[in-house]
Amino acid sequence: MTEPRKFLTIGGIDRREFLAVGGGALSAALLAACDSSGPKSAEKLLRYAERKNLGVERALFRHTAIDKVQAGAHDAGNKLPSYFVSPTVPVWDESARGKWALEVSGLVGKPMRLTLDDLQRLPRVSNRVNHYCVEGWTAVETWTGVPFTELAKLVGASPDAHYVDFQSFDDDYHESWDIESAMHPQTVVAYGLDGKMLEPAHGAPARVYSPVKLGYKNTKYLTKIVFLPKMNGGYWSDRGYEWYGGV
Amino acid sequence: MAKKRHHWIVRVTHWVNVVAIIIMVGSGLQIFNAYPAFARKGELFCCYPFEHKPVPAWLTFGGWLAGARNWHFAMMWVLVVNGLVYLAFIYLHGEWRDLVPRKGDIRDSWQMVKFYTFRRKDHPHQGKNNALQKTAYFLLPIAGIFAVATGVAIWKPVQLSWLTALFGGYVWARYWHFIAMVVIVVLSVVHVFMVFAVDPYSLPSMITGNYDEKLSPEARNARPFYHLFPRRARATPPPEAT
Repeated sequence: MTEPRKFLTIGGIDRREFLAVGGGALSAALLAACDSSGPKSAEKLLRYAERKNLGVERALFRHTAIDKVQAGAHDAGNKLPSYFVSPTVPVWDESARGKWALEVSGLVGKPMRLTLDDLQRLPRVSNRVNHYCVEGWTAVETWTGVPFTELAKLVGASPDAHYVDFQSFDDDYHESWDIESAMHPQTVVAYGLDGKMLEPAHGAPARVYSPVKLGYKNTKYLTKIVFLPKMNGGYWSDRGYEWYGGV
Repeated sequence: MAKKRHHWIVRVTHWVNVVAIIIMVGSGLQIFNAYPAFARKGELFCCYPFEHKPVPAWLTFGGWLAGARNWHFAMMWVLVVNGLVYLAFIYLHGEWRDLVPRKGDIRDSWQMVKFYTFRRKDHPHQGKNNALQKTAYFLLPIAGIFAVATGVAIWKPVQLSWLTALFGGYVWARYWHFIAMVVIVVLSVVHVFMVFAVDPYSLPSMITGNYDEKLSPEARNARPFYHLFPRRARATPPPEAT
């Protein structure tokens, strides 16, 4: 009696070999269908995951979660990278555009235009906080400015304003935020950095700064703060980075 | 003959894990290359000798920082859910008993090392896995849990600052996340090497679930690249026709 051969054979190879070879072929096919950024068909899935993550991240968000600088951490000082999207450092040209003023508008009771002097007369805070860059580095800096909550109170922001858009004169750079992140106690419209007036390299005359958002969400060279009922994307958010960008 | 070795849940979670780990490591390295250093700006970092040296591009996945981040933050759920299914299964089904460390494991591991380095002639007796395998398969889920925890710590350093603080703050949590990846990669590379060098018969068993104990490394007295083929059965006269 010969031992019955249990395995189905395909072209002279048994099932085990077939599966092993087939597994290899499948992986090869999968790899071939991918370019360096993965299969094109995955894009929808990735966007779906981003929307789900957004839900998780917003559910996790608390105003009581406060960024603290670790004991012994050094200030970044002049090691803080300068960054903008225009070809050269954006500088507000007063002779061409008139005196700089920040427009606060949208779903608000009293739209306003605030000059730098106006901003400096409003309640002021200085926060020594971490800067979390999307690239993975962090830097410690002290930001001085108007708490965003004060600004929202001043203009009478509507409860229907679920989003805020921070717009700039750095080309078409802007980033919109969820209102809860904007209303975080450490979010400021900053005109000072490390005890000095903000320089053009870091967003003068004023920029939004909050440790609860990654660096790219913190629009520099502000021109407008617009309260909105819906999100309005953003410079990097429209180019593939997460819209939420919260830490 | 062939015996059931791996439950289908173990086989499915194994291969899902292969895909998830490859994508997590590749996209993680792409993210790392955006700033291939650990130091806070304006500081130095003690414990990484390759600060500011990017890893080779062929190890990366995702194309660019945003693409890699999207992959990383999508695949992390696959890794976590898959890992939980696997751990819940081995807990409920009893397979954890094959992997949990026991008294004598260190001695048995040493015997395996001696065998692999030709200082011992015969393969130490083993159960489903040898002592070195057991250690690796026990450590891998721990490294995985550590990678997930440190990953969450650098994903939400403000909202979950207590977790980030647990790992020594953001800079250190990011470092430990990197180290967890290195541990996982080393364990996986050694694992794959040993599959091909010592027990290629275990590869189909992770697909079909069946494993022929007559082909086990212990039965073949197999070291890496030694006795890869089963010992030929002694020629026995054909049974007489009745």
